[in-house]
Parts: sequence; structure tokens; C-alpha cells
Amino acid sequence: MSDRSQLISTGEPFQFDKERDAEFERLVKRYPTRESMILPALWLTQEQEGWISQEAIAYIADRIGTFASKVYEAATFYTMYNLHPMGKHHICVCRTLSCWLRGKQEIIDYMRDELGLTPGKKTEDGKFSLEEVECLGHCGTAPVVQVDGEFHENMDVEKFKSLLATLK
Amino acid sequence: MADKIKLFVNGEEVEVESGKNLVDAVSAVGIEIPHLCYHPALGADGNCRMCLVGLEEGGPPLVPACKTPAQEGMKVLLDAEHIRKIQHDVMEFELINHPIDCPVCDQAGECKLQDYYMGYDRKDSRMTVPQVTKSKKLDFGGGVVHDQERCIVCGRCVRFLRQITKTGELGIINRTDTARVNIFPGRPIDNRYGLNVVDLCPVGAMTSSDFRFKQRVWFLKKVPSVCHGCAKGCSITIDHNREKYQDDIIYRFRPRLNQQVNGYFMCNDGRLSYRRENEGRLTQFRLGKNERDMLDVITGCNKEIAHSRKTVVLVSPDLSLEQMVSVKALAEKLGATLSGFSDGYIKTGDGDDYLISDDKAANRKGLEILGIDSSRKSFEEAMADAELLINFNNDLSLSYDESGIRSLLGDTRTIACSTHDDELTGQAHFALAISSYSEYAGTVINCDNVLQHFTKAVTKNNELPDVCAIAAELGSPLQNAGQAYAELQRAIGALSEYQPADIPAEGLNLNDSEAANVTA
Repeated sequence: MSDRSQLISTGEPFQFDKERDAEFERLVKRYPTRESMILPALWLTQEQEGWISQEAIAYIADRIGTFASKVYEAATFYTMYNLHPMGKHHICVCRTLSCWLRGKQEIIDYMRDELGLTPGKKTEDGKFSLEEVECLGHCGTAPVVQVDGEFHENMDVEKFKSLLATLK
Repeated sequence: MADKIKLFVNGEEVEVESGKNLVDAVSAVGIEIPHLCYHPALGADGNCRMCLVGLEEGGPPLVPACKTPAQEGMKVLLDAEHIRKIQHDVMEFELINHPIDCPVCDQAGECKLQDYYMGYDRKDSRMTVPQVTKSKKLDFGGGVVHDQERCIVCGRCVRFLRQITKTGELGIINRTDTARVNIFPGRPIDNRYGLNVVDLCPVGAMTSSDFRFKQRVWFLKKVPSVCHGCAKGCSITIDHNREKYQDDIIYRFRPRLNQQVNGYFMCNDGRLSYRRENEGRLTQFRLGKNERDMLDVITGCNKEIAHSRKTVVLVSPDLSLEQMVSVKALAEKLGATLSGFSDGYIKTGDGDDYLISDDKAANRKGLEILGIDSSRKSFEEAMADAELLINFNNDLSLSYDESGIRSLLGDTRTIACSTHDDELTGQAHFALAISSYSEYAGTVINCDNVLQHFTKAVTKNNELPDVCAIAAELGSPLQNAGQAYAELQRAIGALSEYQPADIPAEGLNLNDSEAANVTA
């Protein structure tokens, strides 16, 4: 997992749109404490904007009434939360033990050499973005790559090349 | 006293207090279970795994001692091959990304990681890959500078700010080997207890911008004392040192554990009040504006006192009980009016319900117990026709503005015995430098009626007399603090069986003893 602590500031105040606002209020009633809303509120933000900005984290913390540091913790812990604008296709490569032992690094190196793409970044044309993530739960078929939420198992560089070719 | 239970450590029977976890229970009988994330004030977190111990019968074979209550008959295994391996492995794990900063690290010498490396590891590094690098110098605000590389992510600082101050400025960001402690951008540490995270940090990751790179800790002389920053009187340790060819100065105050007063912590204001012991001090004896020998000035004072038809003696509520007793005896001898007026020391609304008191005087209870009148009315009435004011370090500028002081003093002659040089000592007809609380031994009573004794910490190159000595020179029948203490024992019954050195480190709670009633 790359360092995700550098949040991006939009310089604009963030707030939920009408629909998410209503959804937040609907969900908050479900939980015994408001802090339970940290993860759902981050999802709502990502749904709305595609990614989560520094302003959005501050907004969520204030809206829930918790410490901004707690929301910051959760947002940086889970790699499923995007902390910067994504490319058209978002690629996640698992870096946990099985995938590492079974050659995830070759796939990462391939992207670095061929596309100039490193974890936490996106390509200049905005087509691809890459994140190295912790265990995706498919250790038996490692290494595993997730493209736009879809799993591709038993990957190697050749398979990955042909996978990329199918992405427009 | 809590109930005692018996359990076995490495097969040997020990008797410990019940209701404690294993770390605290057996440490009380001198057996150390190494631990990094656990702190008694913050509770068990169980994240560092350094305190894993074996249980010989019943329960899981390995348990974190910080999360395991001590129980009757428990058979705890510490001195065993597999436990030593765990301790070694945890240390190796903590040290993978820990930089070898010890030669430039403030924590070196009081670092848990150093101690435990020597105690439980002592192996060379097996790492062949580059270490993870992080930020070396992050300003967290509130005087805290953070080194992320030294951090072992025990979370003590995070828990302190969430549980104790409830301000939650810090969080653990990221996960795995990129995990680090950080503030949320734009929300720095902003509370009056923030510097405690520097003490809490078991390694050198949290540093105080005030103390950073000033001294190696093994050069510091550490003396237990009592903070004079406010009426709470937190127990502290004064860390001071005399550099070659320099004067002895204080480098920092640290809180000293005292469950009766401050627990493990102290406020930032108190912690930084050591600066006032070093700076702005009056070190001269003056007749008017001219520096003279102490004896010349004393002689001048005594002449002045002899001529005065009405003398007012004013004491500071910061003085020790011994000093107050000496000054009280002086006032009685001179037939002078004694006052402890010091309303200006009270900053209404500044305190909180934790450790900071509104009252910035260290020993106001002492004034009360000794029956020294502190009302504004009687002080001002006495001053109206006074010819001479002898002021023992009472900072009138806190109680009056400039014109207020002018009209109060009028053409009253003044003898100012003062620790600090300010406008009032500058205007005094006689100015006498006196030692401050880090330079004498004394006894004070805090706002909760806890009496604490502190010893002399600092010896200056030019030692200044303390208030007891000056009072004696001016005619007090009590010659020194020792005689004053004997007098004090008559006034405070609870003290009758204690010599100063015997007063417990955590102080005497006078609420507990009926003898606290004034008998003088």
C-alpha cells in the first residue's frame, strides 16, 4: 500500500447533495452511535464525487460530530476509498503475502515501465489509475488484479497485457 | 488497601494487589513485564504484543499481560525460552524501520526501545532491504514536533488526546508499514495538555520544540518538586544542569506520578513555567537604584523599620508554609500589620475541571491555615496610613494597574524582597533578591488540601537568601526554615509526627486528618 496520507484539497467547501443528504439522515438512525456513520458517509461521498477530498473528510467529521483524525484514519486505512480523482479505469493490485509471493511485483513493474504508472497515480491521458491494495481475499488464485471492481485471478504479465488491450 | 491475592511468576509465589492487570500487579513487587503500548492512565490497547506472557494452567497458553487481570493462583510464565523468543521477535519487528537516531535523539537515555533492546534483543539487524522512510520533522502544533520514522505506532499519544483531553487531534493514518501518526491537515494539536504526549511517547517520536536538542538527558539532575504555576500544585520533576562555566539552570519540568494530585500529567503552562525560574530574576541587593552588599541593604532596612511608625508586611500566596510562618513571626515582632492580599493571582474562568486552577497561587491554603488576613479591605485600610511596606514577593501588578499601585503606595517607603526584577522592585527604596522555589526546600498546600514537601533542586553560582533568612535578618525570632517548620508543626497537627523528609512523596491529604484544624 502506498502512502495515502497526502490528501488533496479542492479549495472548495464540500457538502452532500440533496439525495446523499437524505440518505445520510436515513442511515444515521440505524446506528447506536453517530461515529458508526464514518464508513457509510465516506461511501456516499465517493458515490457523489468519485473520490474523497480533504474538505469532504472535514465535512464528514463535523457532520457526524467526531474528530477529523478518526475519519482521516478510516479513509486512509481502506484502499477502497479513492483519495484522488481516478482514471477512466481503476486498477487495484493486491500486495499481500500470497500475491506478493506469486509475482504481483512483475505486474506493477510492467505498468511502471510501459505506462509510466505507479501506485497512487494515474496515467497522463487519464485512462488508467493504479492502487496497490491489501488482501482482496482471493489468495488461492493469486496474484489477483481488480479492474473497475472486477476480479481477474491467476494473473501474470502476459494475461495482464491482453486484459489491458480489452480496456477502451 | 486493596485485597491481596497470591499468584505464581516463574514458579515463585508472589503476593500482589487484586483488581489490577498482570503488568501493574507484578511490577509492584519488582517484576518487569516489558510493554510499549500499555500505559496505566490510558488503559490496555494490546497492540504492541511486547507484554505477551505464558499461562501454565487454564486459559490460552499466551496472553497479553496488559489485558489480563491478575487472579488468585495464576501461574505466569515469563522466564521461558518461547517467551524470550516472542520478546526478541517483537523487538526485531519494532526495530525493522526504526532509524539509528540515538546519537541525536532527545529520548536517548530514557527510551523504552533502547532499554528493551538491551534487555530482550541484543541482536544485529537481519534486514537487507531499505527501510521505509517517513517525515522526520512534522510540526503538530502546541509545541510538539513529530518524527514519524522513530514512531512505533503504539498509539499512546492518540489515545491520550481522545480519552484524556477529548480533543482527538491525532490519528494513525494508513496501515501496515506505511502507518504513521499525523494530524488532520489544518487541525493541529490545540489544547492545554498537549505536551504530555512527549512524556507518554515510549520512544523519541514525540519531541518538545522547547526541549529539542537542548540537553542529553543523562546530564540532567532530576529532583522531585512541586509546580508553583497554580493552586493545583502538580507533582513535578525538575530537570536541571550546570554546564561547564555556566550557571545551574532548569531545562524542563516533567509531571511526577501522584495519584492524590495530578496523576501522570500536568498542563503546558505549568510545564513551561520553568522558564520563569531561569529568566528575569532579581539577583541584586539595592539601595534605591544602587547595587550594594546584602548586609548594607539589610542594615538600611533595619534602620527604616526602626523609624517606621506603621509597617505593613505583605506576603505572596506562593511562599512556602515555612516562609509564611517566618514572616508572620516577623510581623508580630515588629507589631506590623500582616496581609496576604493577592486577589490578582486569581484568574477567574481560566481554570478547568482537570488540572488547571483559576488561582495561580501555589499556597493560598497556607495563608488560610496560618490565619493570615488576605482581604482587600483590611490591606488597603492598613496601607492608607502605613509608612513602610515590606513586600515578600507579592506581585502587586497582578492586583492593581499602574495608577492603582501609585495611589496605593503614595509616599509609603517600600522594601521589596523579590525573586524577579520588575518595575516595582525598580521603584522600591530597598530591593532584596531572594531565592525562588526551585532553590529552597519548603512545604505547600494545594487547593484540594494536599500538603506536599519539596526539596531544593537548583544551587545557583551566587546563592540568594530565602525568605526565612531575610525575615530573620529583619528581626524575625525564627532563624531559619528548620525553626519555622517546628513552629508549623504546632500549627498543623497532622505534621507533628513528620519531619520534612518523612512527608510522603504523594503528600499528606489534610482532609483525611482532623488534626488539620488550626491550632495556632
